[in-house]
Amino acid sequence: MSAVAEVQKFKGTPGQIRRQRIERIGAITITLILAIWILVNIINSPQQFAQVAVLGLRNGLLYALIALGYTLVYGIIELINFAHGDLFMLSAVFSSYFITVWFKQDESNPAGWLTFISCLFAVMVFGAVINVLIERLAYRRLRNAPKLAPLITAVGMSFLLNFIGLKWNGSTPRQWPTVIPDNDIVIAGVEISMITILLFVVGIPLLLGLNYIVNETKNGKAMRATAQDKDAATLMGINVNKTIAFTFAIGGAMAGAAGLLYQQSIGTTNYNLGFQLGLIAFTSAVLGGIGNLWGAVVGALLIGLIQGLNDGLPIAFGQQWSQSVVFTILIIILVFKPAGLLGKVTTEKV
Amino acid sequence: MSTKVTKPNNVARSNRKWIIGYSIAGGILFAIYQFLLPWEGLPLGIYDAVYRWMPPAAVNESLVYVIMALGLNIVVGYAGLLDLGYVAFWAIGGYCAGWFMSEFFYFLNIHFFGSVAAQAPGIHINFWMVLIIGGFVCALFGVLIGAPTLRLKSDYLALVTLGFGEIIPQVFFNGENFFGYNISNGTKGIVQVDPIPIGVKNLGPFDFGWKLLIFILLTVIMVFISLRLRRGRLGRAWLAIREDELAASMMGVPLMRTKLASYAVGAFAGGLGGVAFATHVNGVYAERFNFAISIFLLAMVVLGGMGNVWGVILGAFILSWVNGNGLSAFGAFYNERFGTDVDFASFTFLLFGLVLILMMLFKREGLLPESRLKMVLHVEELDEAESSTGKKK
Amino acid sequence: MSNVLEAKSVSVAFGGLLAVNSVDFTIPRRSVVSLIGPNGAGKTTFFNVLTGLYKPSAGTIDYEGRDITDLPPHKIASIGIARTFQNIRLFGLMTAEENLMVAMHSRLKSGITSTILRTPKQRREEQGAEDRAQELLDYVGLGKWTYEFARNLSYGDQRRLEVARALALEPKVLLLDEPTAGMNPQESQVFIDFVKRLVAERDISIMLIEHDMKVVMSVSERVTVLDQGEKIAEGTPEQIKSNKRVIEAYLGKSKESK
Repeated sequence: MSAVAEVQKFKGTPGQIRRQRIERIGAITITLILAIWILVNIINSPQQFAQVAVLGLRNGLLYALIALGYTLVYGIIELINFAHGDLFMLSAVFSSYFITVWFKQDESNPAGWLTFISCLFAVMVFGAVINVLIERLAYRRLRNAPKLAPLITAVGMSFLLNFIGLKWNGSTPRQWPTVIPDNDIVIAGVEISMITILLFVVGIPLLLGLNYIVNETKNGKAMRATAQDKDAATLMGINVNKTIAFTFAIGGAMAGAAGLLYQQSIGTTNYNLGFQLGLIAFTSAVLGGIGNLWGAVVGALLIGLIQGLNDGLPIAFGQQWSQSVVFTILIIILVFKPAGLLGKVTTEKV
Repeated sequence: MSTKVTKPNNVARSNRKWIIGYSIAGGILFAIYQFLLPWEGLPLGIYDAVYRWMPPAAVNESLVYVIMALGLNIVVGYAGLLDLGYVAFWAIGGYCAGWFMSEFFYFLNIHFFGSVAAQAPGIHINFWMVLIIGGFVCALFGVLIGAPTLRLKSDYLALVTLGFGEIIPQVFFNGENFFGYNISNGTKGIVQVDPIPIGVKNLGPFDFGWKLLIFILLTVIMVFISLRLRRGRLGRAWLAIREDELAASMMGVPLMRTKLASYAVGAFAGGLGGVAFATHVNGVYAERFNFAISIFLLAMVVLGGMGNVWGVILGAFILSWVNGNGLSAFGAFYNERFGTDVDFASFTFLLFGLVLILMMLFKREGLLPESRLKMVLHVEELDEAESSTGKKK
Repeated sequence: MSNVLEAKSVSVAFGGLLAVNSVDFTIPRRSVVSLIGPNGAGKTTFFNVLTGLYKPSAGTIDYEGRDITDLPPHKIASIGIARTFQNIRLFGLMTAEENLMVAMHSRLKSGITSTILRTPKQRREEQGAEDRAQELLDYVGLGKWTYEFARNLSYGDQRRLEVARALALEPKVLLLDEPTAGMNPQESQVFIDFVKRLVAERDISIMLIEHDMKVVMSVSERVTVLDQGEKIAEGTPEQIKSNKRVIEAYLGKSKESK
């Protein structure tokens, strides 16, 4: 038998085998618990389940847009941009001002829809610009500093953006009218609102567009190269600074779009939004495998689903435990399977 | 052949200078609050000025933050582990006070050198013992939280600690009905805790001077613990981990155990601070514990200089004073002067955010750098300059 | 036991890449052995397996008759396998003395309480550690740099400090990863003499990874050659010098072979 085949047959040292067994048991247990919970609820109230599930998936799409920003940035400079969630929040506030205050649109009509579309472009530019600025002013200088420094700066930046949101939006949540039509369509007894349809109609092309940029364009290739090995990328003639700025730009644009979609669908803005949704989005990115774009999407949809089910179903923890449920998921993943669902484990080279 | 090298004693001398300096400052504060303010002959102007800019309640509250910042200093400053959820320990400490020093458990009647009458319902254990209990309960939670998570990389660890910093306070917030049990009275809070006994009397809500001394004592304890540990093998192990975890483990330092130790000792301070704070505000209120406090504490450690107890004391005192009293006092002063109506107190987030960002960008070693730390946060930049792809800064 | 360390059929696979392929390796008591091979041969990977940094995908490692394959790195260090690093990894912000005292961590016993209270026992222990550190520093010739920050030492002194730190573990096996990198011939000779002196004076075995053939040939009792993860030769320096496979591995084959 060839050496390679022999190695592949070998499962690992006794310690490693034990650990793998624990992980497998843990994963199966958790999946079983989840499956049972879902089944119980489907049997109990199938209509409600479908309703809540659709809502959950819709939220998941929103989380995906935000999660992509986290995973892109982490993939390229190994930094958790704590301020990303707050960028989403500012984008939501920006959208509310753009549509309702500056262009005074508060009804569902062609003028409103036109404003919506222009806002989509405007807010994506807004998100991109702010994100690039943040990177340029704060993170770039610390790119080669020990890990603690940029992390602390990111936390500080989050606070800064929080403050801007506080001043711009006020300290209490604000309600905003929406320009999205109010009616629902009914499929198989499940009410699906126009808002949900809009989210999918806007969100999915955005994701596909991002996929195209990352995989087919020169900039995207530069991004992936830099993410793998910064020094090698420089030697290949890639301008690392520009590439990183580009990454922040598209991450910021996604967050911007998410801000608009959130604002028009949920209709409220709150300066605290960034913290809540930011952590959920980051959990999604980690669940899917940090650095993996499709992982972020899959993770986000899953988290959205679980959270929606938890908040909306009768047999669940309920909304006041929402944050804790998501955090517990994050902790469990990081402890047992830090690579996430689709990620790869990397070893440090000595 | 053995060489005789004289051991430099500048560290010891510097420590002594700081001890003397802070002792004098503490003594002055105590004298002001215990003797000067109650004096009838005190000119009203001075009385007003003191109460406006440095009311004793604010000073005592700042000391609570100092105690906790010293705890966080052990985790972040010595061991280099970014803990963004320290508020969890503060909460646990507070509720320890609420459980063991109040009428919360009204259906029990346990007294142990308590400071209230023997008929009072609830658990009433002596304040000084509750301090120790709170400290150790928090240390235990530090180990429980750390055990599964300290293996993670610094970024993930930061995030997970943030998670715990959210979950634990949320448990208390929703604690009125925690799987059927009331563990915290939820948002109503635990409204009264026992007074502190000091032998001759029980300290009431206006005994600021004596409470100041007690809080100073707690600070001294934490400083003492920090400096002693730092000198011994645990402190060396922490510094080694902070600098190069891999090399440390290959030199025989057990990573998990050592990191857990830093969590435990750091959390202990949270327990002390939590119990102290409960007696300060005479109650335990769930909405007080929010994640922003963890970040405040981090800013205090960063401002003061990670790993330097003297700097951290200063940084914590300054920032907590500014946040608690300074901003609003300054705001009132400014608005009166210029006839404006600026809400200065709302600038807290801006202040702390800027402190973190600016300190990291320009003065990473803190206001009072531990002399060696000047280099730890610049180490890798120097290596970068020496590498083949010498990048422009 | 004539062998202080025995590695049997050790393989290390990273995903589909076999970095080390079924290598047997022994370190006899009080010997000096070397591991050489062209770049990418798997030497450092194998090295890391011996110290517990990587876990082998196959094979076992015995130390003093005990199976240590599953032990964590800090445990392996504390039972007597010490190493230095290819790129020096000192604790730059700690003094030379403190660097050594970190390595004594597993030998010191004081806990949290006795450290806080500075019990007489703890004080004695610390003093003993300081004395041992000074002894070791004198031994490697760094006696006057005790209280200097490691970062401030010259390159050569830093290399010596790394060795002193490894020695502070009181090891039976000392693994040196390219210890003469960056040294000129005189410094290399000083190093050779030092290695010989170590083995003569202490109950210690030394294993080197080296590229400097002069050092390898003059100090090793036995040389092992790795190429592309496989052991292709093992023997005395004389035998290896004239081994055809070894020469081919370093210089490449003269004819294209299919």
